Amino acid sequence: MDTFVQVTLNGLTAGSTYALIALGYTLIYGVLKLLNFAHGDVFMVGSFIGFGTLQALGGTSDPVVPVWLLLILMVLAGMAGCAILGVAIERFAYRPLRDAPRIAPLISALGVSFFLANSMQLMFGADQRNYGTFALGNGELFTKGFSIGNVHVPLIRIITIVAAFALMVVLWFLVTRTRTGKAMRAVSFDREAAAMMGIDIDRVIVFTFVLGSALAGAGGVMFALRVPTAASIGFVIGLKGFTAAVIGGIGSIPGAVAGGMILGFAESFTTGYITTRWSDLAIFTVLITFMLFRPNGLLGRAGVSKV
Amino acid sequence: MKISMSYPRVTAVAAAAALAGMAAITVVPATAAPAKASAGLSCSSTLKIGFVTPLTGVAAFLGQEQLTWAKYAVATLPAKLGLKIKLVPGDTPVEQGPAPAQTLAQKYVADKSVVGVIGPSTSGAVAASSKTYAQAGIVQISPSATRTTLTKGDNQEATKAFFRVVPADDLQGPTDANYMIDTLKVKNVVVIDFQEPYSQGLGGEVESTLQKAGVTTSHQSIANTVTDYSAYVTKVPTAADIVFFPTQSPAAAQAFAGQLVEQGKKAKVFVGDGGFGPGSFKAPGSFASIFAPDVTTIASSKAIVAGWQKANPGKTAGSFGPPTYGAVQVLLQAIKAACVAGKGSIAKRSAVIAATRKVSINTGWILGGKFNWSKVNTRDPDVTKFYLYEIQSDGSYKRVG
Amino acid sequence: MSEPREPHDAPSGPAIGQDEWVARHGDNRSARAGALGTIEARLRTVPWWGWLILLVAAFALLPIVSPSGYVRRVAFDTTVYMLLALGLNIVVGWGGLLDLGYVAFYGVGAYAYALLDSKLFGIHLPSIVSIPLIVLIGALAGFLVGLPSRRLVGDYLAIVTLFFLQIFLTVTTNGDEILGKNITNGANGILNVDPLNFLGHDLTVEHAGVFAVSYLYVGVAIFAIVYVALHFVNVSRTGRAWRSLREDPLAAETMGMPVSMLKLMAFSFGAGVAALTGTLFASLNASTFPLTFSFPLLITIYTMVILGGQGSQFGVAIGAILISVLLELLRDPSNARVLFYAFAVLAVIAALGRSRALGAVLAGTLAFGFAAHAIAGAIQHDWVAGTTEGGLASTVSSWVIVPTTLGDWLGPVAYISLIGIGLTLTLIRGPLRYILLVPTLYLAAFVWENVLLVQPEPTRYIVLGAMLIALMVVRPNGIFGERRVEII
Repeated sequence: MDTFVQVTLNGLTAGSTYALIALGYTLIYGVLKLLNFAHGDVFMVGSFIGFGTLQALGGTSDPVVPVWLLLILMVLAGMAGCAILGVAIERFAYRPLRDAPRIAPLISALGVSFFLANSMQLMFGADQRNYGTFALGNGELFTKGFSIGNVHVPLIRIITIVAAFALMVVLWFLVTRTRTGKAMRAVSFDREAAAMMGIDIDRVIVFTFVLGSALAGAGGVMFALRVPTAASIGFVIGLKGFTAAVIGGIGSIPGAVAGGMILGFAESFTTGYITTRWSDLAIFTVLITFMLFRPNGLLGRAGVSKV
Repeated sequence: MKISMSYPRVTAVAAAAALAGMAAITVVPATAAPAKASAGLSCSSTLKIGFVTPLTGVAAFLGQEQLTWAKYAVATLPAKLGLKIKLVPGDTPVEQGPAPAQTLAQKYVADKSVVGVIGPSTSGAVAASSKTYAQAGIVQISPSATRTTLTKGDNQEATKAFFRVVPADDLQGPTDANYMIDTLKVKNVVVIDFQEPYSQGLGGEVESTLQKAGVTTSHQSIANTVTDYSAYVTKVPTAADIVFFPTQSPAAAQAFAGQLVEQGKKAKVFVGDGGFGPGSFKAPGSFASIFAPDVTTIASSKAIVAGWQKANPGKTAGSFGPPTYGAVQVLLQAIKAACVAGKGSIAKRSAVIAATRKVSINTGWILGGKFNWSKVNTRDPDVTKFYLYEIQSDGSYKRVG
Repeated sequence: MSEPREPHDAPSGPAIGQDEWVARHGDNRSARAGALGTIEARLRTVPWWGWLILLVAAFALLPIVSPSGYVRRVAFDTTVYMLLALGLNIVVGWGGLLDLGYVAFYGVGAYAYALLDSKLFGIHLPSIVSIPLIVLIGALAGFLVGLPSRRLVGDYLAIVTLFFLQIFLTVTTNGDEILGKNITNGANGILNVDPLNFLGHDLTVEHAGVFAVSYLYVGVAIFAIVYVALHFVNVSRTGRAWRSLREDPLAAETMGMPVSMLKLMAFSFGAGVAALTGTLFASLNASTFPLTFSFPLLITIYTMVILGGQGSQFGVAIGAILISVLLELLRDPSNARVLFYAFAVLAVIAALGRSRALGAVLAGTLAFGFAAHAIAGAIQHDWVAGTTEGGLASTVSSWVIVPTTLGDWLGPVAYISLIGIGLTLTLIRGPLRYILLVPTLYLAAFVWENVLLVQPEPTRYIVLGAMLIALMVVRPNGIFGERRVEII
């Protein structure tokens, strides 16, 4: 029972990170029909911005602001920084390619990914970095919290999971309840028709990149609170987010959340109960089988071909 | 209907021109070099040493640390020996497998002023490229490849031109395991591997020694792309005393130890030389083994460490860097000896191999004490013991064995 | 560059069974005027085999020009890349299928050869048997991966094939313990793999550690054979069907084409070529390791194919040569410096054309540099006393400010500002642009000398990344790619 609770908790933590990245993939795919392979690297940059903010505010041993404020500032800085980065990437790497063959922006995205990962290494070195959150406020982030049975649920996990879901709810409101959100959905459904209806496509796309990249930035900071980060992590983590987005049905926002959770749980349950050595094999086999039966993902729309 | 047709061809022509230019750059120096090589290398000219290590990608932290020490060694040491040395680093990202190491081997073989190579840093890259170096008569001195078979016999993996300044896994593994058995009195140990050669080799040695002594062991295999270990920490039995975690990144060991605490496991982390890092691995109660004492505590190396620190502000000395400095020390001694034997020139590069076999350093060895080759196996260092450290509550390392 | 835009290889008159407009569409473009136009028109008349002969001759002559084992090895690596690019071109360029598992088939070939010709199981098949066998195994693997994937399109196909690649990597990495048996020797890789042999003679890999020519020639020969064979596949009925599949799968299906079968064939052909290349690679290196066949290699090959222009065999081969040689050249800081300044000057010329602005900008940058250098040197000698080495070093160090030590923060700040200013500059029009261009160019040189050249390894990939983005923006169809006729 304890193991089950702990494994579920692990799945939930990993899943919420994956969901945040998957949302970025899905949003951008929705409006541009582009697999933004650089998204994982935006996440990585976010984790570095969080680190920089932490250092600027005195580091873990001697922060100049209360811990809660520190965490909020780190996440906000990560979101803001990544939003700017996302807009720049869109403006210079994708916008000129909007009418190019579909593979061209894909290659451009790979170029951005190479560029970001190696630029970060160039500027800040290749070392793995820990935020060192353990030292923050005498480790209260890890010692406080509540228990389910014998399983301790530390504050840091609660914060990560709750914050991730709060961001998802905010996103949901933005997309379904605001005019810009409506415009986003219209562009995603049919860009040309939306343009004819007087929707400013460029503005919508920039807005989408702001949203997607900010989520990645928040995810990056919260991920790095618990896990070491390095200039090279973007690729693997991006792959996970991409996988989650496709499982959920790329383009679908609830699908991305579901896909992230499925991937998180699949990983934690296979390693927890079945095998560590072959966990990747098990996960990928299940995913392939799943994709064959639901080729459009869990919540994706079956494409209607127009002739 | 929209038709777009005309398309400039200038880019194609430009590409062809670029290609021709690039070809010229590659071919010309390469053709020019061998002409003067037949007469042997004059020791008063600038000699080159190669350096093969991962400098980009997921293992770049390791290679970049080594590079800072290699650069520092090459900047400071040759002048004392009356040599002029240039370091030529080559990148072998672990994500690309050992193939780049083979291309680099050809690069160093082709450049007649390369008299020796530091590295490759990883055992896989050594196995893939050492035959080429051996045939060309170029010495290789690795600062970190510890696979046991690399110095056993003379075959594709273990050539007579390959040396290393770090001892093999079959020394470290049993040392660590015996400490756990005799001093820590462990009953239950988890051994982790990262699906790459270093951890599999070292972990395998530890596991088999523990099993022979009747200790309960369990094994976990973690893909080396994983950074969040919480799912694996959950699998650590509550009864486990020690998790043997042969990582190459102290930061990863730190994260793993933190997650053990978070999930209420009493097990402590035990790392090999790869995880030794006073700057970033400081979880209290953890253990680390290393074949030399912590370089910052060696009195005779104070000046070296201080000089390196000055050249690399903000960095802390880890476990991969100092042996790299040591490898350069050994190689420079060998080059000097070959120069003396050849009366001011090196007739054949293989002379450096013969000279390397005779190297011994009595003063100034970076890792303290003296450096000699092992009497049993002349391509391994004469290291018979490992140093064990326990991390204190303030994060400092205290020697315990 | 007459190739491979079927059907205009045919005489440009109308032919039976072809729509006249389609048949002539290759001719429906405006010719460039002037001398360049004449050269272009001449180049256009070179037959497809002319380009192939040019490529093969260039590679065959290389060992004669230079005895260096390094040059041969790089040429051989390039041949391997060219073969891989040809194979990927079938799947992506002709079939229009986004296959992200392609390098797994390369690995299948390498591992199959390592198992069939090494000491691991003591099997030593003659190459004449093992090569065709491995091509078949590869093609079969491609067929099997394609089988479940044939219903998938676009990005879903991409991810399923990517999963297959991950599975291949997991299995080979952990293959030392498949049901308790050692099949692939795990992460340590398979060593002691035999070289290729013909009629009982082993092909020489190295003479005294220097890469022997034999392997290069075998590689080039295989490349030529594959190139010719694929050319004929491309102009065949299957090739035409692939292209229609690429352009519009729905229409192709409506026209009664066996779409599933065509996809499977594209997969099999590509996988067969990849497996053949894997054989060549494993036999040369006498070893094979799982990580060789991972995602970075896939990206590199995709880059080559897209850069060269997917669909054109000659184009993808040139793409492979460009990327492979460029990455090798950038290893060495002194080469990298020459390339950088040459590229910077060419880029300014290309951007400004033959105008007065060009002269002004170039002269301005030079003057700006000397002035900045002199001022900095007068204030503090250390600021300009840093050393550089390699090609052009002495010239450059009297122009660019190279301090003895660069402050911790100065590197990142200069680098980020360069990117920021450089990108902003592309948005500014008018005279301000020319004025700002001067300090930007100087800043670029400063960053290049002080930040990028200091760490050539990440710089290689930064340059590659930036080049990919710029090339896609300037020429989304690749260097030799043909802009498709878009009908809306």
